[in-house]
Amino acid sequence: MFFQQLFNGIIIGATYSLVAVGFSIVYSVLELVNFAHGSFYVLAGYLVLTMYSFMALPYPVALLASLVITSILGALMNKCLLEPIRRKTSSGESVMTATLGVSTFILNLIMVLYGSETKPFPMPFDLGRIYIGNVIMKWDQIIIGIAAVIMIVIMSLIIYKTKIGSGMRAIAQDVSAAKLMGVNTEMVITVAFFSGTLCAAIAGILIAMYYGSVDTTMYLGVSMKTFAASLLGGIGSLPGAALGGVIIGILEAFVAGYVGAEWKDCMAFVVLILVLLFRPSGLFGHKEIKKV
Amino acid sequence: MAYLQIEDLQVSYGAIKAVQGVTFSVEKGEIVTLIGANGAGKTSIMNTIAGLIKPAGGTITFDGKEIGGRKPYTIVKSGLTLCPEGRKIFPRFTTYENLKMGGYTMSPAAIERGIERAAELFPRLKERFDQVAGTLSGGEQQMLAVGRALISEPKLLMLDEPSLGLAPIVVQELFECFTRINKDGTTILLVEQNASMALEISNRGYVVENGKINITGTGKELADNDKVREAYLGGM
Repeated sequence: MFFQQLFNGIIIGATYSLVAVGFSIVYSVLELVNFAHGSFYVLAGYLVLTMYSFMALPYPVALLASLVITSILGALMNKCLLEPIRRKTSSGESVMTATLGVSTFILNLIMVLYGSETKPFPMPFDLGRIYIGNVIMKWDQIIIGIAAVIMIVIMSLIIYKTKIGSGMRAIAQDVSAAKLMGVNTEMVITVAFFSGTLCAAIAGILIAMYYGSVDTTMYLGVSMKTFAASLLGGIGSLPGAALGGVIIGILEAFVAGYVGAEWKDCMAFVVLILVLLFRPSGLFGHKEIKKV
Repeated sequence: MAYLQIEDLQVSYGAIKAVQGVTFSVEKGEIVTLIGANGAGKTSIMNTIAGLIKPAGGTITFDGKEIGGRKPYTIVKSGLTLCPEGRKIFPRFTTYENLKMGGYTMSPAAIERGIERAAELFPRLKERFDQVAGTLSGGEQQMLAVGRALISEPKLLMLDEPSLGLAPIVVQELFECFTRINKDGTTILLVEQNASMALEISNRGYVVENGKINITGTGKELADNDKVREAYLGGM
């Protein structure tokens, strides 16, 4: 029981980590709470459903197309909506509210097109399972976990090892200084939205595979857990978001297994509140350096 | 035409006109200083040349090309780099990462070369390479800001208030470096409140008052000008 819950928790936690890493990429660059993040996570699943079940495209094509389309939509949201707003006002709240509008639009569009009931998500392969001791590990769970970890590693390499990543980290500290270094800031910000949304899309599809279904109520759950994971790890920190996601996944699995499934969503927040009370900047949050 | 030619430049923030038709020029190889009181519009002029602010009117010509209203990254690529007021180093990057960031538009080999040169110019920076820049002293931060601006190998380096808040001995050291950077072939446009020091190393200077240029001359002429002495040099 213990190791089974631990395994389940790590797998589900890895997908939370991936969403939270995507959220943190955008947050760290713009200090923007992107409410549309979770709606792209939901949308990606529905796009696979549309292209595989209704348009009869091959499964890998449907997956890939969904990822590409969703990520481009994330980038377009920045380019066509958020960037013009940023140019006219320095109010972060205006931009944040715009993302709330985008998420409402996407979720309602899905409900109009598909209805609000849960839809079965296609998973054409049964990959079987393996046993280690008495822990059951389904192969698709293992693949989900590995895929999430690989994506987190790729994103970290982009942020910490590439030129465009250094541009993102520079913008996060001082936009006008980044401009003076020759960073094409608007382009870099759009890339941040593209990569962040890609993380959400991959995680959304993995979770849809995991549960074998999609529905629009996934939005609220994933958004809450993303905020919790990011704050727990230290908002804006990528390693923090990754760790926060896994911690919340494991906690949920244990609470669901030992206490009761109805408690699992609130436990994440109980722990979050405790951590924030004792370590307000989160586990990996950078403390403000004040120097005049 | 001059190397950098500013013609009737106007800058507005909404209804407020910060710069109202300023004309001046910098010749290749010169050090030119803009002096003036707080709020005279010096920083607005610098930020507009660097592309951070769009001009409300007038032209900015650099090396024969009109650059007014272009994006900052194209201006950096054209050879004009601003070392901004208040240093604006990246506080969470190390000294080394800050310098590397200065070469964002450059090749890795050029960045290596530039960092070596910055370390030679400011030996103290080398000792601080792995230190997070937010914890450097004010003087070290200013050296870092200047060193970082040099990595992009500017043909014209703009320095906005480099002496702000620094001890006189550090200012002395910095200004000696500016002379050296200039001798190595970089044209310099300097904005300073520390007018005596700035005029001493400058070929020419302009006095900016209320968004306009009222007095101009060589460094020595301005230093000897009664009005300038009264207003900016403490009536010495």
